[in-house]
Amino acid sequence: MNIQFVIMQLFNGLIMGSIYVLLSLGLTIIFGMLGIINFAHGAFYMFGAFVAYTIMAYLIPNFWVALIVGPIVMAIFGAACEAFILRRLYNLPPLYVMLFTFGLMLVLQDFIRMIYGAAGVPFRTPSSLDGSINLGFMFYPKYRIFLIIITSMCSLGVWLFLSKTKLGAIIRAGTDNSIMVDALGINISKIFTLVFGMGIGLAGLAGVLAAPLQNVSHLMGVDFLVDCFVVVVVGGMGSISGSIVGGLIVGEIIAFGVMVWPPMAHTLIYIFMAAFLLIRPRGLFGREAFHE
Amino acid sequence: MGKTIQLMGIIVLILGFIVSPAFSAEPLKIATLTDMSGPYAELAGWGNINAAKMAIEDFGGKVLGMDIEYVYRDHQCKADLANQKAIELYEKERADVIFDCPNSASGLAVTNQALKYKKIFIAVTSGTTRYTGDLCNRYTFHYAYNDYVLATSAGMWAADNLGKKWYTITADYAWGHDLLKHFSAALQKRGGTLLGNEMVPLGASDFSPFIIKAMNAKPEVLALLNAGKDTVNSTKQAVEFGLRKQTKIVHALLFPEDIKAAGPEVFADNYVTASWDWKVDQPGVKEFVAKWMKKFGRPPNWFNAGNYSAVTQYLLAVKRAGSKDPQAVVKALEGHRFSDFFASPGYIRPEDHKRVGKAYILRAKKPSEIKEPWDYFQIVGVVPAEQAYQDVKETGCKMGDF
Amino acid sequence: MNKGVWSKQKVIVVSAALLLAIIFPHIAPYIALASEILIFALFAMAFDLMLGYAGMLSFGHAAFFGLGAYTAGVILKDLYPSVPLALLGGVIVSSLAGFIIGFLSIRRRGIYFTMVTLAFAQMFYFIAFKWTGLTGGDDGLQRVPRPSLGPLDLKSQIVFYYFLLFSVIICAIILLRIVNSPFGKTLQAQRENRNRAMSIGYDVDKFKLRAFIISAFFSGLAGGFYALLLNFVPLNSLHWTNSGEVVVMTITGGMGTLFGPVLGAVCIILLRDIISNYTESWTFIMGMLFMAAVLGFRGGIIGILRNKLRLTI
Repeated sequence: MNIQFVIMQLFNGLIMGSIYVLLSLGLTIIFGMLGIINFAHGAFYMFGAFVAYTIMAYLIPNFWVALIVGPIVMAIFGAACEAFILRRLYNLPPLYVMLFTFGLMLVLQDFIRMIYGAAGVPFRTPSSLDGSINLGFMFYPKYRIFLIIITSMCSLGVWLFLSKTKLGAIIRAGTDNSIMVDALGINISKIFTLVFGMGIGLAGLAGVLAAPLQNVSHLMGVDFLVDCFVVVVVGGMGSISGSIVGGLIVGEIIAFGVMVWPPMAHTLIYIFMAAFLLIRPRGLFGREAFHE
Repeated sequence: MGKTIQLMGIIVLILGFIVSPAFSAEPLKIATLTDMSGPYAELAGWGNINAAKMAIEDFGGKVLGMDIEYVYRDHQCKADLANQKAIELYEKERADVIFDCPNSASGLAVTNQALKYKKIFIAVTSGTTRYTGDLCNRYTFHYAYNDYVLATSAGMWAADNLGKKWYTITADYAWGHDLLKHFSAALQKRGGTLLGNEMVPLGASDFSPFIIKAMNAKPEVLALLNAGKDTVNSTKQAVEFGLRKQTKIVHALLFPEDIKAAGPEVFADNYVTASWDWKVDQPGVKEFVAKWMKKFGRPPNWFNAGNYSAVTQYLLAVKRAGSKDPQAVVKALEGHRFSDFFASPGYIRPEDHKRVGKAYILRAKKPSEIKEPWDYFQIVGVVPAEQAYQDVKETGCKMGDF
Repeated sequence: MNKGVWSKQKVIVVSAALLLAIIFPHIAPYIALASEILIFALFAMAFDLMLGYAGMLSFGHAAFFGLGAYTAGVILKDLYPSVPLALLGGVIVSSLAGFIIGFLSIRRRGIYFTMVTLAFAQMFYFIAFKWTGLTGGDDGLQRVPRPSLGPLDLKSQIVFYYFLLFSVIICAIILLRIVNSPFGKTLQAQRENRNRAMSIGYDVDKFKLRAFIISAFFSGLAGGFYALLLNFVPLNSLHWTNSGEVVVMTITGGMGTLFGPVLGAVCIILLRDIISNYTESWTFIMGMLFMAAVLGFRGGIIGILRNKLRLTI
């Protein structure tokens, strides 16, 4: 195992981590603000990839268009789900909402299977990003570098939005105490819709970005789902910085596990999470209030 | 007195009419257990069901005076469901034979039920050598291919034609390990060397570390011992890292459906073993393909062809046996030599119940070479049955009695 | 029976249910499916003790089910083909696992508790996957025998069903006594208000741990039965999706009622089998049903039955 390989692996960990970050950001703000454990999050990720595929295969064969339009479509789709359906579930115990999102996951997955089949659809790296860059000490695929850059920009964007803008402040306040925000006269239900839409948009973006790297099929979100819960829990439920840091840590743990003993790599994150929770139950940046 | 006898005679006649259906031939029931909504739905699923239906139709719908009835069930590639469905088919549906069963764990469970209910199971779509190895039994047959064939044929041919320095990326579970064992043995026989192997957890989405390690070893051939989603992911990422510029890729399993799903550029110039291909030059193939195309709009894959052939051979065996009694049919199948569009020639080994025959080496075409839909492969080699199939003495099968 | 007054309504409903259970194998699609339903009914009841009564959502119960199944399977296959021994082995191992996992995870509450249980279950899955010598790995544990139990020829599917029915009814009676006992009441009390329960002087964690072990016990028993039913143990029994199954059954059926989950198991398994025979898109339909169930019902299937039929059981 030479140093070149180790560095490559650290980069690969960032790739995995970046996808986890985008997915977990969505998951955590949805949980933080709405108290919903969104089982359908992986399915929305998958849906985003298929929306991008459809745009490129049938409308405009341009990756950049799909990259921008795809997440926007998903954000609107998410907002619509929230406004028309999820809204009615807020007074139900959280377990019922969980069952609902589980049903939604099944519906979204099978819907895609019915239209596109079970084998999957082709999705290539855009030609402008094909090939590798010579980083001096190693060659690394251009697309992967692009992915890391885009994800960093997005995470920064989300963080800035939430910490520096007025709307962001409202969202953060609503995450803390939505009743109070409502009482202050702010239309909290509009904020909920916005937040859910944003979370789903991020999931969709993750889907589009990951599509060139893997098999785009109706089940591509299932494996990611459980891992995302791990990230969110490790980072702290409802914490933005927690998702970012947690996502990268989990990505690197898998990469590290692959270097040491590949079969164990994935299970390693569960061991890590269990150990972490036993020591620090609220996760990295989570708040006490999210215990229940 | 005379009238009493007449009356009794009429009563006996009436009773005879009522009772006689029980004595007239019970229909022969054929069943297909396949994956209709899981990962193999495109490869197997309806294709294999239609193949069985077509075979029954072409046979005439009747055998030995019995009507042939047909049922099918979906096991979604889950072993516990396959087990339950096999019980349902053998017990409730009274099926005489079950065909197909993708997914080896599912198939192994079905062989157990076949033994329990003393009915026949002909595995077509799954590849584990355990069907004809440590878990063999007198009621189970393995028809289309197995992992040994895949690994050995591709291994030997590629070692002769592509290069002697190899690297492997293996799916880390029983099937992958089995393939690796056979690949290495085949490679050694042809004087090749295995530079290294990476065990990759099943369903991994990121193959980059393994591909990087493989590239560092600078092999002439990379063997991807995985299937389905893993094959697509690993190949996509190998292309991404530029591995193909210096190394050829050989697959354990690769189907036209995989190529369609990922796009032919991904698999161009890769090699794989297959039991059959729609472009194979054997008697009967063109007619079968034309018939299939007319009905379904696309050529059959070798699972579909295998199922058609298996059902037909089963029905012929029933005819030879003179009854549908499983034990008689098993004896009629054992040692049978035949030739049809799928296996030319084919032979069902009595020692382990494998259908043996030649294997083909296929090369995936570049996009520019594809002249018509589904024209994804070129046949570049043939491996004779004695080389492709494992020697009887080495299978580890202790074929018990009924 | 500590159930209070045997109201006329209760007697009618229970008798009807019993009658239905007795003729069930003959009206179900096939007998082995009826047996499978009984097994998951037991699993769901065991799970409800944790979720509905103790208020703890575990996403790792597949570990106990799977451990029970594998232990029973290994005993039957490799040690000694005895049904009571295999089942006993299964529940001992699963209860032990319940004690260990419970002890470590009880400290956490809410979603964190859930994730810790999931983590442990994933570890067991991984071990079973890799330890092919013992478990058969991905192929599962094949060729598990189903020996006779005294004069009962369990190889016959129908005899096995009635054996299961008898066993599950006994388990149900035991679980019913547990939830109606002071122990059960205390569990529910701490679920409603942990701090108040503690202030009265109850060692809440001890109660939760005991509930965990009892739940693991019966889950392991269900697993042992499953190994006998299938004559093999699939690796999937340990997968988190199996945990998810029982969660869905319990919530859909109506948690905290013990018999709601039974209904949930019956409905989900039956529907899945029937629908999948008509269409490959059964997943879509099941998903729609779950969503409709949540939008429409409150309190699960048993909630509807209680409201519409004005039952008081």
